[in-house]
Amino acid sequence: MVPANQIHDCHPPIAPSGLYWVVPVPEGGLIVSADGNTMTLEMRDVPVVDQPRWPALDSVATPARMSFKMVWKSTGEPVKIEDAAKHFGFTGTKALCQMEAQIEVPSIGFSWKSDPMNTSKCDVAMMGEEVNGRYYDM
Amino acid sequence: MNSLIQTRREALKSGGLALLPLLIPRASLAFDDQTPMTANGGSDPYPIPWLDKNGSHNQAASFNLEPSHIYHFKGRVARSSTFTGMGTDNHGNRIPFGSPTTDYGVMQGEYWAARAAQKGTFTHI
Repeated sequence: MVPANQIHDCHPPIAPSGLYWVVPVPEGGLIVSADGNTMTLEMRDVPVVDQPRWPALDSVATPARMSFKMVWKSTGEPVKIEDAAKHFGFTGTKALCQMEAQIEVPSIGFSWKSDPMNTSKCDVAMMGEEVNGRYYDM
Repeated sequence: MNSLIQTRREALKSGGLALLPLLIPRASLAFDDQTPMTANGGSDPYPIPWLDKNGSHNQAASFNLEPSHIYHFKGRVARSSTFTGMGTDNHGNRIPFGSPTTDYGVMQGEYWAARAAQKGTFTHI
């Protein structure tokens, strides 16, 4: 459900393959703690588009840039999701996740910066290991 | 007359043969000019095959749904969704961010593409 008061929606374009809002992470962009319980993802100036009226098909896409930092911390509470019909299995834990971000839409002279990371909140987060597709069937 | 025909044939033969040295390099150049073909497909990851309710290859983040956005994959995954927070634009306006569809993910490990195992880290943002 997209809020009626949404004024910007920044994300990477959908790839010709259908891969959805997925981009490569440069070397060093993801740092995992030695115990595996904390993951930090940080990227700068990721090329994205601003589609304020997404998911409307005629939503105009304006080139934009996004920088962000996101931290997952495991709560230790187990999560196991498996669906043999869809050929995937996930084993991990619930997590706490917070983020800070900055976006720029140069052509309209708009930029926005979030408050510090510790002021953000998310309701659903998890981290772990997954196997799917041909690897699930091996 | 006969000798004239032979002469013409010989002339055509020699002419045809004479053309070959020119034709071969041209054909060779034509092959060189071709863009290399990705006969095994590209090395980009495959999306999850099934579609969401919007008809997209987009998996929501939930404790009962697949976390990865990449198919034929094994490795580390983290997911998050339903963010809420605040921020400020360049005119000083306070603007909140986040909605139930504000979700992120990261996948790091091995995936299958171009008929071979690939290594990579990707994010859904």
